Amino acid sequence: MVQVEQERPSLGAPPQGFVWATLLLALAGLAVAAYLSYEHLTSSTSLACPDTGAINCVKVTTSRYSSVLGIPVAYLGLAFYLAMALLTLPALWASPRRTVRNLRLTAASSGILFVLYLVWAELFGVDAICLWCTAVHVITLALFACVLSAEALRTR
Amino acid sequence: MSETSSRSTSARERAAAIRAEQARRERRGKLLMAGAAVGAVLLVVVALVAIRLSQGPGSKHATASGQATGSVLRDVSNVDPATFDAVGLGNVQAVPSKIQAPAMRQGGKPRMLYVGAEYCPYCAAQRWPVAVALSRFGTWSHLGSTTSSAQDVFPSTATLSFHNATYRSRYLAFNGVETTTNKPQNGSYAPLDKLSASDQKLEDTYNKPPYVPGSGGSIPFIDIAGRYVSSGASYSPQLLAGKSHSQIAAALNDPHSAIAKSVDGSANAITAALCDVTGQKPGNVCDSQGVKAAASRVPAGS
Repeated sequence: MVQVEQERPSLGAPPQGFVWATLLLALAGLAVAAYLSYEHLTSSTSLACPDTGAINCVKVTTSRYSSVLGIPVAYLGLAFYLAMALLTLPALWASPRRTVRNLRLTAASSGILFVLYLVWAELFGVDAICLWCTAVHVITLALFACVLSAEALRTR
Repeated sequence: MSETSSRSTSARERAAAIRAEQARRERRGKLLMAGAAVGAVLLVVVALVAIRLSQGPGSKHATASGQATGSVLRDVSNVDPATFDAVGLGNVQAVPSKIQAPAMRQGGKPRMLYVGAEYCPYCAAQRWPVAVALSRFGTWSHLGSTTSSAQDVFPSTATLSFHNATYRSRYLAFNGVETTTNKPQNGSYAPLDKLSASDQKLEDTYNKPPYVPGSGGSIPFIDIAGRYVSSGASYSPQLLAGKSHSQIAAALNDPHSAIAKSVDGSANAITAALCDVTGQKPGNVCDSQGVKAAASRVPAGS
């Protein structure tokens, strides 16, 4: 008996606009995460951020929620955006390997879940909003939306 | 023959059209799913914000002050000398500065003055090494337990309080002044201990350059017998973020912990300054390896 392996259809090309949008968003997120990491590394309490009670970056970045399992959240953000910047390179979008696509989707989804945790922590744990962190959250959401859209609009 | 060819072409075109339509539907379906996923995320964020807004402002409060538990007091008062020696100066970022000022004494003993406030996160950090250092010269009772303000930076840092605390020592006198609580009141914090006029004058005089590094004026302000002063914390309160009183106190006896390296290291530096004003008494403390190591960074002499 001869077994015939059914060939899986190859991945089509995603729209170029989305490809570049994801890379630009990843680089923007990387820049903000790098700034927050620098501020953390230098123990700075001078984040360029207004202190109006509800908005207080330093209160958030110095709170108990500013690290997870001993790892500063700023560094986790930096690692996440470094990975996303690599995964959203046009060359990797063009890769026919499904592993790359699955990794990119998993990373974007994990990022958005972590953002939801951080929003909860800001609202209910710290009771303050960090504008720089919010910028990262918005970028992560936009990146998530662009990655999903690019995958959905791939041509066969 | 040509009719057969035409039929075949038409069938291929229909099949292609069906495939294209299927692909379009598939893409539309995937796009809808993507939109739904993004919409769900936005919905969760909006729900979180709405719930938080419905709770009203200022739902987070600092912990009310009380007395330190017996285990915390034991850990603070009984750091193993071997731990102090192993840590030395540890990760301390600032040591007391030497000043030339009239000697400060009380009851015939050198006096140490601490001026801070319960809301202040830097005071929260610095109280730990102050309490640990003073434990080597005497005993605490009624040492308080509190947290820094929930509204300030390094929110709700677990700490001790010198408000109503009693310190007894044959070598030293200690006055700990906590000027406010950690409870917001009329745009500031509720007042607590009153700083005497003479101590206020001391702070006004020596809590500024060139006596202290930086711009001065920070709290906690510490004056050790008119011979040493310090302003602010000697390590970042970030180190204590998320830690309970018990966790911090327990870490003091682990020379490898980051907390011990900062708190015990700072306690060694304060101890070295205190030894300088007590005439290097008691000998078992002042001659210890950890204090000697710290003393090399703390300027000595009268």
